[in-house]
Amino acid sequence: MKRLVATALVVFAASAHAQVAPPDLTGVWAPYRGGRGADPKLAPPPASPLVLKPDYAQAFDAKRKAEAAAAEKGEPIASGAVACVPYGMPRMMSVALYPIEILPTRAQVTIVTEAFSEVRRIYMNVPQLPMGDVPPGYYGRSVGRWDGDTLVVDTIGVKTTVPAYQNMPHSDRMRITERIRLVANDFLHDEITIDDPVVLEKPVTYTLAYRRMPGYEMVEFVCDNNREYIDEKGGTHLKVRDR
Amino acid sequence: MAAAIVLLLAGLLHHSFAMFDTTKQVTLVGTVTTFEWTNPHAYIEIDVPAENGATKHWSIELGSPSILQQAGWKFKDLKYGDKVTAVVNPLKSGQAGALLMRVTLPDGRVLGNGPGAAGRQ
Repeated sequence: MKRLVATALVVFAASAHAQVAPPDLTGVWAPYRGGRGADPKLAPPPASPLVLKPDYAQAFDAKRKAEAAAAEKGEPIASGAVACVPYGMPRMMSVALYPIEILPTRAQVTIVTEAFSEVRRIYMNVPQLPMGDVPPGYYGRSVGRWDGDTLVVDTIGVKTTVPAYQNMPHSDRMRITERIRLVANDFLHDEITIDDPVVLEKPVTYTLAYRRMPGYEMVEFVCDNNREYIDEKGGTHLKVRDR
Repeated sequence: MAAAIVLLLAGLLHHSFAMFDTTKQVTLVGTVTTFEWTNPHAYIEIDVPAENGATKHWSIELGSPSILQQAGWKFKDLKYGDKVTAVVNPLKSGQAGALLMRVTLPDGRVLGNGPGAAGRQ
């Protein structure tokens, strides 16, 4: 009898858990970084190490050294952003101090970023396509579902030319899994795991934290006055005017 | 301190700031010719009197409107003819271009290049 009651309670608790209304993520969110003045309970926890397979690690390290040397000379190697090319997934989820806007509807969660006005669409409760069936793009294809209070998002199909976390290279087998949840009133965490069996020795996980910005009106970002240019060696320069 | 500034700048700009010599500060006292509230960066164009009676023109790069707004800027804070004092990090190339550190507006307000950056030394 006791076992029956216990079982009934577990079933009840499980169904109550499944029926709980998902938290409302609607609104504008600004990156919330760790460091001085940040609440350690709300700041992002440390990332796991980024471990590339040896062939990729060597090239990655060499590229980083070349970047450091060029920066020292005052001619930093251009990133796509210098040419106003958007960041794509997953870097668009955290660009400097720029906020993001989350717009959930029943069938779709839309995320709009302020930097470069990027848009990603997360299709809810639909199956993901097989790896390789998504046309490569900056945002790939994202599907989501609620797991209790956590929005779980699966993304595949990000172009291999779009740098990923910490500008790591990736293959067309990269899969990004996000677990997005409120960790306190008005504080959101997006725990991002990148798996790439071609490039990574093991998946890497890092967390982005955000704080809500009530009433904030998103600023437009149309790159129509880009005065930076990239020379034939890939260095960045600034066009200055005579008058 | 230097590391903190580096991190701060990295957070404000959409690219590496290594074009600019962040170890050098130049003070430019001059007259605004245009203030461009644009992306990916805003710019202050300024004529600065030179010693020989001539004028040297400078292009000063700021953050984007979004970031500037978070630091208290408004799109109409500067206009043609305004007299300003700007403290900048010059381009390493020696050209008359720079990154804004802070600027004193005609009404005496001091604005920086991003949240928390106003008035930093």
